[in-house]
Amino acid sequence: MELFIQQVINGLSLGGIYALIALGYTMVYGIIELINFAHGDVYTLGSFFSIAIIGLLDASGRLHGVPLLLVLAVALAGSMILCGIVGVLLERLAYRRLRNAPRLAPLITAIGASFILENIMQLWRGPSPIPFPSVVPNVTWHFGGVNLSSNEVLVVVMALFLMAVLQIFIYNTRLGKAMRATAQDRDAAQLMGININMTIALTFFIGSALAGVGGFVSGIYYGSTWFYNGFEAGLKAFTAAVLGGIGNVAGAMLGGFVIGMVESLTAGFISDQWATVAVFLLLVLVLIFRPSGLLGEVLPDKV
Amino acid sequence: MSRRSLARFVALAAILSMFGTSAAFTPAQAADQVIKIGVDLPVSGADASDGIPTQNGVTLAVEEANTHAPKGFKFEVDALDDAVGGVHNPQQGATNIRSLAADPAVMGVVGPFNSNVAAAEIPVSNESGLPLISPSNTNPTLTKTAKYRTAHPDVITYFRVCATDDVQGKAGAEFAKTLGLKKVYVIDDNETYGLGLANVFEKDFKEMGGSVLGHDHITANQQDFKALLTKVASTHPDAVYYGGTTSTGGGLVRQQMASAGMDPTKVKYVGGDGISDEEFIKVASDAANNSYYTVAAPNAAKSASAQSFIKAYKAKFHSDIGAYSANGYVAAQVIIAAAEKTIKQNGGKAPARAQVLKNIQNTSGFKSIIGTFGFDKNGDTTSPVIALWTIKDGKQDFVHQINVSAK
Repeated sequence: MELFIQQVINGLSLGGIYALIALGYTMVYGIIELINFAHGDVYTLGSFFSIAIIGLLDASGRLHGVPLLLVLAVALAGSMILCGIVGVLLERLAYRRLRNAPRLAPLITAIGASFILENIMQLWRGPSPIPFPSVVPNVTWHFGGVNLSSNEVLVVVMALFLMAVLQIFIYNTRLGKAMRATAQDRDAAQLMGININMTIALTFFIGSALAGVGGFVSGIYYGSTWFYNGFEAGLKAFTAAVLGGIGNVAGAMLGGFVIGMVESLTAGFISDQWATVAVFLLLVLVLIFRPSGLLGEVLPDKV
Repeated sequence: MSRRSLARFVALAAILSMFGTSAAFTPAQAADQVIKIGVDLPVSGADASDGIPTQNGVTLAVEEANTHAPKGFKFEVDALDDAVGGVHNPQQGATNIRSLAADPAVMGVVGPFNSNVAAAEIPVSNESGLPLISPSNTNPTLTKTAKYRTAHPDVITYFRVCATDDVQGKAGAEFAKTLGLKKVYVIDDNETYGLGLANVFEKDFKEMGGSVLGHDHITANQQDFKALLTKVASTHPDAVYYGGTTSTGGGLVRQQMASAGMDPTKVKYVGGDGISDEEFIKVASDAANNSYYTVAAPNAAKSASAQSFIKAYKAKFHSDIGAYSANGYVAAQVIIAAAEKTIKQNGGKAPARAQVLKNIQNTSGFKSIIGTFGFDKNGDTTSPVIALWTIKDGKQDFVHQINVSAK
């Protein structure tokens, strides 16, 4: 039983990271129906940016002068902004011109963008795993035979908090309303005076910034990263988004946690080798029985 | 039309000349004829800390050979990288061997480093007759079975100067016993090398009365090992045995043990030569301490004849030798010696690859800094040595070594 709870905790923290990435997938898909395969690499870039910022503050000796929390806040904010900018640039340079092209074209462009980002990271920091500066003390609490660490709490809380903020943003602000309108009918939205280019760029910014948060917390959680991380994490997060119902924010979150949990429990109780198989098997089953995902939104038919 | 057929003829001639034997060519110029020693090792990314120190050994051997090369000849290194995205890659390795085989000046190749790369390269080497001498491949099936010698099953073109995993796994099991380990959990990376080594360890450790609590395989590019390690922790092992390389997860597994509830100062980590690189210490960071590993090569620092090599290496590369630097050096020396012998047999004329191969096959009583050895009928060294190492205060520390040729 203790082992089961422990694996659930592992699964929740892994799922929290998937969820943060899945939010970006789902938002971008929701608005322009593009599967942004470069999104996983934006997540890895988030770790790279965090490492660079912490390194910069540390190297100049300022880390000892300022409170740790401030350093982390700067690293987090910096990683979010930089990832957001990368997302906006991707949209502007790679996807905007293809917005009305056949759907295969932007999809292949996204895969190309993913390769470019991976190779930039490989050139930047080399192809070896890079240690994340261990500046955050990891406190572990013991409840009977179950261990809970502050890093695990951080990942889950961060994911839930940001999802809540995102929900409020989408449903209770003017910009959120513009996003929903653009998602529903781009041309009609434009006729109503919504600047759709700006709205789509904003969607990319927010989605990529969330991936930046994912990169930051995963760096703290795992203590290392490498340029190729985003490929597999992106694939799993994409699965999470589809599982939860692509285009649906709460669904992406749910999908992330479910996948993290399935992976963890399979690795823990069956075999590590079967973990990925179980994840994709679940995806197949969901697609067969609930093609629009667990919380799949029932889209009104576009006639 | 005629222009097109001429172009075709030229292209054909060019292609044919690529496959021609070196004997067909006698360069007209008076300059020294170049004899190339090919190198195929992973020299980028997580595997670079394996490949580069080994390649440095080859460079040194070639430089030394040039100080007394046969008249009219000079040796050159032709080095290729078989790592793709920082991890050794069998397809890349096979491509490299094909391109080296296409160059008639290449008399032999030092490499590869990893057993799964060797499995892809041996068929190419076997077909083209290009000799391969590996400094570090330890999987027994590479030589002891003919399964990779697809074109000519009875022709040996692949050799190695290190010991194999049937003895390395056993030495690891004995090592674990002497460390007082009773319950061990085995994890491997599911590659030719890692899986093979882990299986030998498991079998021998059980035979010696130890208990193996479980055996799991990890997959490539995995980042999260916490679920697996939580399961491992619940079995309360004295140590985790890892069969595999640092680049396939060896460092990350060790690093994440603490967060899964295994104190690295209490739970030991035992592995093979796959974690004998500096990269392991870098990735596992503080958790690297209290790790133990076997290396299928002697510790050159302990050999009197290797002292000048170590000195020359330090002077040239400004770093300490790696676990397989001396093996790379010796592998290159074997090819050079065979080429020199061939030149002598030809009365000072250029050697052909087939002749060099024959001389490598007949290598025996070869005096080197890793001992005096020859190759047996499978291409294995006749003097295999296993060294035992540990990691203390973030540094590699030699324990002792055994010659396993008697076994």
